[in-house]
Amino acid sequence: MKKFILVALLLSSFSLWAKTIKVEVSGMVCSMCAQGIEKKFKKMDVVNSIKVDLDTKLVHIELDDDQDISDEVITKNIVDSGYNVAKIIRE
Amino acid sequence: MLRFLTFLSILFSLQVSAHPVIYKGGWVISSFNMDNMNDQQLMYSFTSHFATGLNSYRFTKDEQDTDLLFAKLNYLAWRYNGDKSQANLYLHSGVGFSDQQSISQGALMYGAEMDWETRELFVGFKHWQYYAPHQFDMPVSMARVGFSPFTAPFDSLQSWFMVQAMYAPLASETISLTPMLRFFYKNVLWEMGASSKGGWMLNLMVHY
Repeated sequence: MKKFILVALLLSSFSLWAKTIKVEVSGMVCSMCAQGIEKKFKKMDVVNSIKVDLDTKLVHIELDDDQDISDEVITKNIVDSGYNVAKIIRE
Repeated sequence: MLRFLTFLSILFSLQVSAHPVIYKGGWVISSFNMDNMNDQQLMYSFTSHFATGLNSYRFTKDEQDTDLLFAKLNYLAWRYNGDKSQANLYLHSGVGFSDQQSISQGALMYGAEMDWETRELFVGFKHWQYYAPHQFDMPVSMARVGFSPFTAPFDSLQSWFMVQAMYAPLASETISLTPMLRFFYKNVLWEMGASSKGGWMLNLMVHY
């Protein structure tokens, strides 16, 4: 029973730490040109998945449990991809 | 053998309007092919503002070829990242060789390219100058306008209708007007068209 509670606590704590960061990117009008954003974030070990939405101009970065990326790293990746960061939203 | 090499160069050569510089660490291999002109390019963007690589051209007029090969440096001089649009100004420069009527010599090229695009509209213009002493000092100008009938999600096939006007004195069709279709899916772009005088166009570009 103790083990079960411990596992349940661990699982719940991991899910609390799993993060999605939304980045609003300006100038993102061409999906082929924006492939660089996806490529740069996918290379990072802490990134679980990435989704680019041209309609909302948002890049959704889902991180591995208990991981984080600084605003500076996010901004550098976006700028190196040729775009500007309008806003970083952390959930 | 020469025909085979020419065929290979048409298949794998690359340079398509736009994307002279891409994301840092990205490669562009592109091919721009018309029946009287081939433009092939392999470029590496070492920052998001500078790209370097090789670019070869072949212009054919009166069954005579003019071949050019350049080591190039492309520079993104200005970019506007707007809410719903992007605009760019690129500068091109190159040093290399020309070959015309079996006479080879050093050659230079330089030029500028501008574009503005939204998810539905594209307008672009570029002008290059090719110079080989005592052989030619030749301009090539190109303008494109296009529209996309629908806006597709990031990972879906994108479709565009475009019209290209080009002025190239060393090509047999000195002035050409070419309606075309542009498609891209993820990191691959391809275009096909036919000029008002019946000349074909087939382009391919890959980012990686």
